[in-house]
Amino acid sequence: MKAHGINAASITYDSREILSNFSAAYKIEFPMLSDAGSKVIRAFGILNTNVPEDHKMMYGMPWPGEYLIAPDGTVLDKVFLRSYEHRAVASEVVLRHFDSTGANSVEINAGVLKATVALSTDRCFTGQELGLALEVRLDPGRHIYGKPLPANYQAVELTLESPLIATQSLELPAPTPLLLKALGETLPVYGSGFKAHGNVGIKWSPPMPAPFLLALGKTIEPGAYEIAGTLRFQACSDEVCEPPQAIKFVLPLTIEAGVPAAPKK
Amino acid sequence: MEAARKTEILHGIVRKMMAGGADIQTSEWIDFVEAQNDGFRTGPEIGAKVPDFTLPDQSGRSRSLHDLTGPNGLLLVFSRSADW
Repeated sequence: MKAHGINAASITYDSREILSNFSAAYKIEFPMLSDAGSKVIRAFGILNTNVPEDHKMMYGMPWPGEYLIAPDGTVLDKVFLRSYEHRAVASEVVLRHFDSTGANSVEINAGVLKATVALSTDRCFTGQELGLALEVRLDPGRHIYGKPLPANYQAVELTLESPLIATQSLELPAPTPLLLKALGETLPVYGSGFKAHGNVGIKWSPPMPAPFLLALGKTIEPGAYEIAGTLRFQACSDEVCEPPQAIKFVLPLTIEAGVPAAPKK
Repeated sequence: MEAARKTEILHGIVRKMMAGGADIQTSEWIDFVEAQNDGFRTGPEIGAKVPDFTLPDQSGRSRSLHDLTGPNGLLLVFSRSADW
């Protein structure tokens, strides 16, 4: 993030002493702000109002999420996920807004089409959402297809397969209708390269060995994994149409072990 | 979800956790997650300004939104707690 000129900071309702202890235990370098009394959490409108006021532990906490804020104070992006077990990795919005190819990318060279597929990070915890990016570069005079498309053509399509993945999405730019004279058909195409962004949700796995949590899903063991992917497309020119291709690739992903609370002083 | 039901769920689970958590049922845990997140809000919309603020950081230094922000912006993460 530093390379992109973005700073990071966190806000919780914890006292400065708790934050100082946590920060020292985990060697945190970014500012951890103490919003004891939750004034700023309220000002943002994200105080968790489901928690009753007499709840000693949880009252005052926010619905967890993050904002990417421009230097003029405007919200550029935000990520709030469906439950507190699911959080975004910080690199997700960086990949989306600062055009980085991400820390974890693979190059695809399929003749007339070259592509970069990137995850915003190569390590995360279970339950996290990662950024996904696809950059396609096409030789001049070629096009690939978009959707909707008749059944006998292959639209460009990126799929990731792994038992770690709960959700995935990729928002492709809108294709352009092109009249293909030889076929007498107008089809949606990409006539040049493009960039697309999306995300990948990693399944949540109980961080502690409680029987009632284990029943929610099989535990994902920390360690090194590989995410298998396929990029499908069909490249054509005005004269030639190549057969559909399915290029396989692999991206590494390390699942980190859960982090225990900082030891109390 | 009704407010009284949320309160009951949130207090109930914490009571059971304090007692060791051995008798917590999976369905109760799912209700607990749901009760916390029901109707969650996400604050200022994209394109809107965030409220200005000044808060102390972990070293006790007073930090304003302006001085926290880098040349291209600030990633501001709201989290539940660094304590539990």
